[in-house]
Amino acid sequence: MKHRLSKARINEWFWGWFLIAPTTIGLIILNIIPAIQTFYLSFFKSGDFGRGNIFVGLENYKKLINDPQVWGAVRNTLLYTLLVVPIGVFISAIIAVLLNRNLKGQGIYRSIYYIPVIATPAAVTMVWRWLYDYHYGLINYVLKQLGLNPVNWIDDPNIALVSIAIISIWSSIGYNMVLILAGLQEIPKVYYEASNIDGANAVTQFFKITLPMVSPTLFFVITTSVIQCMQVFDVVYMMIDVARPSYDRTVSLVYLFYNNSFKYLNKGYGSAIVMVLLLLISIITVIQVKLQKKWVNYIS
Amino acid sequence: MKKQLFSVILVIALLLATLTGCGSAPATTDTPTTQQTSSSNNTSGGGNTTTAGPVTITYGLWDSNQAVGFEKMAQEFTAANPDIKIEIQLNGWSDYWTALDAAATAGTLPDTFWMHSNNFYRYASNEMMMPLDSYIASSDKIDLKNYPEGLVSMYNFNGKQWCIPKDFDTIGLWYNKTMFDEAGLAYPDETWTWDDLYEAAKKLTKPDGSQYGFLAAMHNQEGFYNFIYQNGGTVITPDKKSGYDDPKTIEAMEYWVKFVKEGLSPQIFGDPERAPAMENGLCAMGFFGSWNLSGFAANEYMSKNFDVTVLPASPSGGRASIYNGLGYAIAPNTKNADAAWRWVEYLASKEGQLRQAELGVAISAYIGTADAWVNSNKTFHIGCFIDMLDYAVIRPYSNTTSTWEDKTYEALRGAFTGEKTVEQACRDAARVMNEILAQE
Repeated sequence: MKHRLSKARINEWFWGWFLIAPTTIGLIILNIIPAIQTFYLSFFKSGDFGRGNIFVGLENYKKLINDPQVWGAVRNTLLYTLLVVPIGVFISAIIAVLLNRNLKGQGIYRSIYYIPVIATPAAVTMVWRWLYDYHYGLINYVLKQLGLNPVNWIDDPNIALVSIAIISIWSSIGYNMVLILAGLQEIPKVYYEASNIDGANAVTQFFKITLPMVSPTLFFVITTSVIQCMQVFDVVYMMIDVARPSYDRTVSLVYLFYNNSFKYLNKGYGSAIVMVLLLLISIITVIQVKLQKKWVNYIS
Repeated sequence: MKKQLFSVILVIALLLATLTGCGSAPATTDTPTTQQTSSSNNTSGGGNTTTAGPVTITYGLWDSNQAVGFEKMAQEFTAANPDIKIEIQLNGWSDYWTALDAAATAGTLPDTFWMHSNNFYRYASNEMMMPLDSYIASSDKIDLKNYPEGLVSMYNFNGKQWCIPKDFDTIGLWYNKTMFDEAGLAYPDETWTWDDLYEAAKKLTKPDGSQYGFLAAMHNQEGFYNFIYQNGGTVITPDKKSGYDDPKTIEAMEYWVKFVKEGLSPQIFGDPERAPAMENGLCAMGFFGSWNLSGFAANEYMSKNFDVTVLPASPSGGRASIYNGLGYAIAPNTKNADAAWRWVEYLASKEGQLRQAELGVAISAYIGTADAWVNSNKTFHIGCFIDMLDYAVIRPYSNTTSTWEDKTYEALRGAFTGEKTVEQACRDAARVMNEILAQE
């Protein structure tokens, strides 16, 4: 076969590449090169201030397999994701459905639910840490007024992860809600009108029309939420200090990576930990993409 | 066509706006006086680029209480030296070291910054500070003989002096006078031992959990390190082995944890929660370092109800208070080495050290300036911090202090929650610490 590239074709190529160049270059410089460097670094024992790295082969990975703290972090991260994603998406879906109707002051409600998304995570966590405080926190104060026992929200190893999950759910609802709401509003009204004539009730309409029609949005929301949750760092970092008894039961993979890389200054080992996270996220995302064929509807 | 032209103009206009925005930024940070000098330079007919504008020296530190005092000192310094401006870069303790490490790697360290014994070795051995010997030799204001020998040698490595001592600190016993009066107890004094502390804590603890006698937080420097050295134990041996499995260390730890186990102290693990436990009247007594002075004095409840005295001795009379001092360092690649040195020279000179003491910022390292610090505050009897120097013990350190301090916290935690016996926790701490020390 002979290819003769016309001038128009070349022109088209040029503009195509030209227009995606900013994104591509940004992605390569900010994401792909650092990712490759991290992978490379995970085979080294890092020296101080990025000098004098010593090649150690798979030593970091061997150490990692025998480190109970890494496995603890894998468990914490997965558990956290399992807590935040289903509950968070469920609540935001309900709120989206409620706000999709012609309510009075709809805009105000939407803004209120979106405010936590705009707020800085660090500031949000500081406020929550104060609310959770065992001795002077507002939540325990209310519990005491109601005659209940105060709860050690931050230091109790069995509760701390739930406390963190609550903050994350609270701050992610607004974002997910807006996405789902947009999905809901794209459903043509004629489907509902037609089904009304056929005598379908509200429940049937929800399961037969709303849910299938909004499933692409739901899929997007769930996949991105899972990836975000797997990378949780700021909330745990702000709430749980290494010295706290709940540290082992809350430390996430990224937090453990941070501590090893920047506090214990073992950047090689930290890089190995973050490779585990990359592997985990890839596996989960592949599974999700495969599973989507079973429930996501792309007919419109 | 018209449309295209319009967008081209728009883009150019935006570009120009950003360019001029960048260009004008430094000018707006100039102080009025310096603008005058630079404009007079311009009128005198260009070409004279070397004397343009004042230089800005960045100054990295981690204590927000002390930053207030240094803000004032920086202003006074600039008033006397109009060609140098000081820009304070404040970070919290833990973020400070993360940021400093990244800055050192990237070659963008602040011109001048604080150094701590925990991290000194790493920075000195990698030459991430400028050796100050030649500056010191040619200075008429700095003579290392004027600083405590322990602090000078702490910041000496490979025969070079990398930092000049800034200050020193010791730990004192802070107590709530009002709570002592209510319980009808005499205030703690230099005759106290651990047993007196224990008996008083028992009487000061209220059964409903609204008030605890003592704060036995899980904290090393402002906590169990003091007990360990008072008891004749150690944290690190001279041949760089962990001292946590020393029977004397374990005994001291057992006494410390006893306060938590018997409900005389709340279980407090987080560093930022310790001071509020005193400031909110939760605990009647607690160990806190001299550097808390400005923070505590600014707190209305503390200044009304609290006072401070020397630490109690061990039952056999052993005395100790953990003693540490910070150093002033200069970045090795600073563009304005002479200006940076002038700022550090001022801070470390008798004049600067007296000012630091007068402002109550910290106990100055310069010998003979301690009185100025003691007189800076009439609210508390802070002379005790100086009295404890006679038996003070330098904060234990090695080349990887910050790593093993965190790791031993992880091991010791279980003793405070009751998951492990104190002995088991100490042995675990010794094991992880020895693993880290072996890699030094």
